Amino acid sequence: MSKIYIVEDDAALCRELSELLQDAGYQTQSLTDFANARENIVASGADLILLDINIPHGNGELLLKQIRRECDTPVIMVTSRTSEADEVLSMSYGADDYITKPYHPAILLLRISAVLKRSKGQPGQPVKSTYRGLTISLAKGSLSDGTQEFIFTKNEMIIFSLLLDNRGRIVTRDQIMTALWDNNEFVNDNALTVNISRLRAKLAECGLENAIETRKKQGYILL
Amino acid sequence: MNFRNYLTDKSASVGITFGAWCVILLFFGAFRTSAEEIVIISVIYFLAAFGRLLYEYFRKRRFYNDLVARSGQLDQKYLLSEMLETPDFFEGKLIHEALREACASMCEQVADYRRVSEEFREYIELWVHEVKLPLASLMLMSHNNPATDERYTEQLHRIDGYIENVLFYARSENAEKDYLIKEVSLQRALVNTALRCRSELLQHRVNLRSEIPDVNVTTDGKWLEYILGQLMGNSLKYLSPDREPEICVYTEIFPDKIILHFRDNGIGIPAADLPRIFDKSFTGENGRIYAKSTGMGLYIVQNLCLRLGHSIRAESVQGQFTDIVITFGRDTLTRIE
Repeated sequence: MSKIYIVEDDAALCRELSELLQDAGYQTQSLTDFANARENIVASGADLILLDINIPHGNGELLLKQIRRECDTPVIMVTSRTSEADEVLSMSYGADDYITKPYHPAILLLRISAVLKRSKGQPGQPVKSTYRGLTISLAKGSLSDGTQEFIFTKNEMIIFSLLLDNRGRIVTRDQIMTALWDNNEFVNDNALTVNISRLRAKLAECGLENAIETRKKQGYILL
Repeated sequence: MNFRNYLTDKSASVGITFGAWCVILLFFGAFRTSAEEIVIISVIYFLAAFGRLLYEYFRKRRFYNDLVARSGQLDQKYLLSEMLETPDFFEGKLIHEALREACASMCEQVADYRRVSEEFREYIELWVHEVKLPLASLMLMSHNNPATDERYTEQLHRIDGYIENVLFYARSENAEKDYLIKEVSLQRALVNTALRCRSELLQHRVNLRSEIPDVNVTTDGKWLEYILGQLMGNSLKYLSPDREPEICVYTEIFPDKIILHFRDNGIGIPAADLPRIFDKSFTGENGRIYAKSTGMGLYIVQNLCLRLGHSIRAESVQGQFTDIVITFGRDTLTRIE
């Protein structure tokens, strides 16, 4: 379970954010002692840091610069500052992503899982993943059992890899939709349903019957 | 100032000179002065008068011509006194001094207003950052709490939209350069905008079609996303009830420019209103009939485009489509391959 460290001085927001992340299956810890922010963050051993720019006792961008000197834990800047200059500065200090408040929860979760996935993989090499003996190639958009290769469409691959990243957890339709839209596929509700049933059929072809389970009014889960 | 204007201006003085000469002639007549003496004295008299006129003319000409020329060239005329040399004649010195004082006081006033407007913009930015915190909390609460549904989030999105309007209005009206121009992926900008408007697009069953290739434009990414958001909001406001709504975003690529089309199949804009849709506070027929319109959205959009150096225009046929066309310049020299 990945641990996410939240640096956010607005108490209400911090609480809600922790709840959201815990519901999504992450472990969270939040900073309370802003005077010693850097030491606390570095000592936490978190897998990912959500960092606000406007924080007491300094500035998130400078804090990021200090953190980067000591460790390369992925950092997502989460801020209400919607200016290109702030984003460019943060990225140049080594942030992995930049999200502005107020954010859609599904978008935040998507970005977090993307950054975590990137940080776990080798730089420059695609993340290699397997599912029940099948090797998944994101670049080729295919699943292979060594002898046979099954080609997936772009949408099917996006949905499948999202479910796989969250294997064993419920993934909402909202999350799937967000992932598709994030990849330039502006599908509607009906198209999403069609895409999922096609994915199911294709997985059945690969010998994986009933791999995706529907949880009524909640979403889908990859077993 | 040329000699003819100058002479016209001095006509009274010339008249007095001639009058005085006539009086002198009368005296000469009375004293029976010889003709040669009259001629010699008249020549001296007129040479002196004419010489004085010429001397004055050349002395003033330089200052006044300089004044007129500089004033014509200057964009901000209140900086005029800075550009003028101090003249060497008394009247000129008076004018120059008065002008200098007037300009100094104007500069002070301008600086004052600029400071006030800058402080106001800074406060708006600060306020927007502040108000976004509770808004972000509310959005998360509404998401975390299973009892609330989409309707809450929808209203929160509306508030967020209005807040953005204030922020970008302040940014677009301000003289300070507070944007950052760099290479921005057009596809990414559209995706980010679409993600933000997703629930509204889906709710109205709008089919969003993107035919944007993977190209970069030189612009401020945040400003561009706001512009696209406004265009999307407009398309959503003026949907046609007769057909399945569709928004199609596509580009035309030229060596020196990229043209972005944002086209919807909504109710369109009446031809009479079309030239004025970017005007401040213009609502038009559609604004009155279909939706609550403040006439600010497209005005802000145009302002932002102007400041970023993009051109924007609209094409539309009422009842058929609206196509907003933005042209991004492409500077092939500065691009580092």
